[in-house]
Amino acid sequence: MTSTVPQAVPAPKPTVTGGAPLLEVDDLSVEFRTDYGVVKAVNGISYTLAAGETLAILGESGCGKSVSAQTIMGILDSPPGFVTHGEIRFRGEDLLKMSAKQQRDIRGEEISIVFQDALSSLNPVFTVGAQIGEMFRRHRGASRKDAKASAIELMDKVRIPSAKERVNDYPHQFSGGMRQRVMIAMAIALDPAVLIADEPTTALDVTVQAQIMDLLAELQRETGMGLILITHDLGVVGEIADRIAVMYAGRIVETGATDAVFTAPAMPYTEGLMASIARVDQKGQRLNPIVGAPPNLAMLPPGCEFAPRCPRATDLCVAERPPLREIVPGRRSACHYAEEVLGA
Amino acid sequence: MSERTPEKGPVGGTPAGSTDSGLLLDGQSGGEPGGPTGTGDVVAHAMASGHGDDGSVDARQASLWSDAWRQLRRNKLFLIAAFLLLVLSVMAMFPGLFSSINPSDRGACQLSSSKLGPRSDAWFGNDIQGCDHYANVIYGARVSMIIGLVVVGGSTIIGIVLGALAGFFGGWFDTLMARITDIVFGLPLLLGAILILGVFPERGLPQVCLALIVLGWPTTLRLFRASVIAVKDTDYVAAARAMGATNGRIIVRHILPNAIAPVLVYATIAVGGIIAAEATLSFLGIGLQLPAVSWGLQIGSGQRLIRTAPHIIFFPSAFLSVTVLSFILLGDALRDALDPKTR
Amino acid sequence: MPDADLSAAAVAHAPLREDALLRVEGLVKHFPLTQGIVFKKTVGQVRAVDGVSFTLASGETLGLVGESGCGKSTVSKLLMALEKPTAGRVFYKGQDVTDLKGKDLRRLRRNIQIIFQDPYSSLNPRMTVGDIVSEPWDIHADVVAPKDRNRRTRELLERVGLNPDFVNRYPHQFSGGQRQRIGIARALALQPEIIICDEPVSALDVSVQAQVVNLLEELQDEFGLAYIFIAHDLSVVRHISDRVAVMYLGAVVEVGTEDDIYEKTAHPYTQALLSAVPVLDPRARQLKQRIMLTGDVPSPANPPSGCRFRTRCWKAQDICVTEPPELVERGQGHPVACHFAESVQIVTSTEATPVD
Repeated sequence: MTSTVPQAVPAPKPTVTGGAPLLEVDDLSVEFRTDYGVVKAVNGISYTLAAGETLAILGESGCGKSVSAQTIMGILDSPPGFVTHGEIRFRGEDLLKMSAKQQRDIRGEEISIVFQDALSSLNPVFTVGAQIGEMFRRHRGASRKDAKASAIELMDKVRIPSAKERVNDYPHQFSGGMRQRVMIAMAIALDPAVLIADEPTTALDVTVQAQIMDLLAELQRETGMGLILITHDLGVVGEIADRIAVMYAGRIVETGATDAVFTAPAMPYTEGLMASIARVDQKGQRLNPIVGAPPNLAMLPPGCEFAPRCPRATDLCVAERPPLREIVPGRRSACHYAEEVLGA
Repeated sequence: MSERTPEKGPVGGTPAGSTDSGLLLDGQSGGEPGGPTGTGDVVAHAMASGHGDDGSVDARQASLWSDAWRQLRRNKLFLIAAFLLLVLSVMAMFPGLFSSINPSDRGACQLSSSKLGPRSDAWFGNDIQGCDHYANVIYGARVSMIIGLVVVGGSTIIGIVLGALAGFFGGWFDTLMARITDIVFGLPLLLGAILILGVFPERGLPQVCLALIVLGWPTTLRLFRASVIAVKDTDYVAAARAMGATNGRIIVRHILPNAIAPVLVYATIAVGGIIAAEATLSFLGIGLQLPAVSWGLQIGSGQRLIRTAPHIIFFPSAFLSVTVLSFILLGDALRDALDPKTR
Repeated sequence: MPDADLSAAAVAHAPLREDALLRVEGLVKHFPLTQGIVFKKTVGQVRAVDGVSFTLASGETLGLVGESGCGKSTVSKLLMALEKPTAGRVFYKGQDVTDLKGKDLRRLRRNIQIIFQDPYSSLNPRMTVGDIVSEPWDIHADVVAPKDRNRRTRELLERVGLNPDFVNRYPHQFSGGQRQRIGIARALALQPEIIICDEPVSALDVSVQAQVVNLLEELQDEFGLAYIFIAHDLSVVRHISDRVAVMYLGAVVEVGTEDDIYEKTAHPYTQALLSAVPVLDPRARQLKQRIMLTGDVPSPANPPSGCRFRTRCWKAQDICVTEPPELVERGQGHPVACHFAESVQIVTSTEATPVD
């Protein structure tokens, strides 16, 4: 490599500040009661998030990753969705036991969310300035004028160019990436302690995706908020997350520091996912897919959920569901043979 | 709902190692923030395994229509509606089978029995002319059924054909249709009917039907045109075109079955409205004239007597309601049968 | 930086070969922007595709990469004759097929088929799987005799990895990956020579993507298919393609073999695109350069003068404003549309560990 590109910057690495857990999800179970049976979308998941930390929840569609976020935000469709077990503690207090008003005060102000589809999350008939400003008017009782000023300030903060002129534009006048910035501006308007980003870049192009991930990382560095990144994209996780929780069929099947998990996975599902994706830094060769498809959440097998697709599965795996257990300090895996997988 | 368990791993007979077989959770990538991720897929799965139970493996080549028919035959509401409509149709065609009295016969009406209530020798009582009201209602079925079916059938066919052309091809024809329907929509029903019926020296069943069709088809056209446009841009239509399908084939095989549902529902609901519209026109004296027998006319004349002789309005209204209800049930059943997702 | 091996590269990218299966020359598609309902007035042009040329050899895979709005999907519609090109010609086996109509067009269509991105909207929900897969034979009755259709349908389903007993089921009863397999079976039914794959795996789950990509590769080997593989995912494109064309705002900015594009990346846009792809391996991530592009893709209704990429390019100079760069060989071993083309290795490639 002899030539250099002026704009090239080293990949940003968010700092880990650690500290007491800000958000604790403890043994949370959520089910959907449909006409066709009870769908166990989330089955006893637990994780913690500290201030300044980025936790990635990785999984394929239907694994329950979004349902758990919806439960934290109190936007679970209920019915048919019901929390059957568990606690969600924010600064030590269980959100699920609070009154509706207390919950509202925390959600939006202390915990906020950015969705995948920015176009449908914005109201097309109001200007983006009015929608960002609304956060200040409703939660802080700001005047119309102050709210607008704050909106411009926020739009600057999320790097929307010429914010002063664009504050009166409508959502459809923005590109996909800019709309996602507007959504982020709304989410961080009230300086939340926790930001949940639910597939924030899935609908965006790669170059724009990189911009948005950088913005999130930078905002986190500035504000010290905890970030939960929900995604199916292993690459995005690798670039930004400190810790990772891999979900499969409603359960967390592996957790650990991102680099450690990606260097040596301890669960065959994670291993299989990493082996199956095409990589930009690798030449051809047949891909190595995971056979089969995830199980039906209305009829979960009694043993390990991944056993039917797992190349390492034994009789034990079919008979007995492995618990999520610590295998080395900071690493947990829900596999009977985690040590072997890790050593492989 | 079934003993069939979700297939895991390769299904027998498929090459192992490269299949994601089984009807399992695997939606589009990415969570959908709005809805509960997973439920839709599970519903799809549960239905899938249900479907697999009845047919098992047979050599039969299923098609939408044969599957729809199988589905209809097992639908109780459809069977009830079909039975009721069959009875009503027989009544319309052969009223003599149901009543020994023909209200149009001389001497069928005795003014002395005017407005008498229901009793054992006249189940539905008598109308203001003293005619047997049971015979009235039975003989009224013919006109009402004809008006309902002809008008709805006519305006639906016109609306579907023109709507398909306008929606599929667009262009000047679409613009022309849009303007024509605007003009018709701008005309209130009564005013429009007065204008149209005023053209004819004589006003009978055909004229009333024609007037109602002329005023009715634009709604069907608008409805169908909108759903044609929605279906036209789907990838499966592009796929059909890519394999060389003609426009006719694309419209008939791909667009029509996927765009027809709203029109079907509207048409079955419209039957009742049309029968009532005939009543309104007749009541105002611009529809059928009195020696004619129809539920509309009976309801119209019964309105004035609702306090003194409520049975006069009650019986034709009840028959009208049952007819309309049967059509609506039929339409619902048909719509569901034509949607594989509800099976 | 290693010197480009010119002779090898020249063979590899094969400029407008006469024996090409498919040859596209100067393809242009402008969509008029209109105002008014009754009296339509053209107020502008969306230059969706603005002069695209490439060739496709028999049995090869050409990757067409670009971000949304770059015109790659419009190119696929033009190749399928689903849209009429504003200008430019398409040659199939040396024959001009741009203006074919009626029977001739139908015959051409047997040879070029398409697989769509969205497995949910690409199958008619009111047709059984058997009807979907065998419909092509209703139109081209000579391909398979009516009595053999049932058997052939089942064979095709089996070939794409589906249970052949599923012929009487409806699309909604299948998962996304399975639906994509049905779409592939339909495309194979007419035994085409070219299949245009329009983002065939981007709507699928990660673990299912690999299954479908592998299936496509197996089918290519078995039937000698040529693919035009349209995608925004540079990783999958690298995996499957022999040659790659990178598009930006309706034009190809760089074209070459997989090695040319991924290891001797010469166009600034391709460089930025590659650098933005997240890398999984923590060690490789340290080695990777990051080029952060500013701003958005300009509107194709009002593209910049000169070089289309200049508004976001860090190399842009005065000449880029006035003179659009031609897509020609500039000493990089493959054609690049940049006045300041310079090969840079953005990602450090490794050979994949062989699959056992």
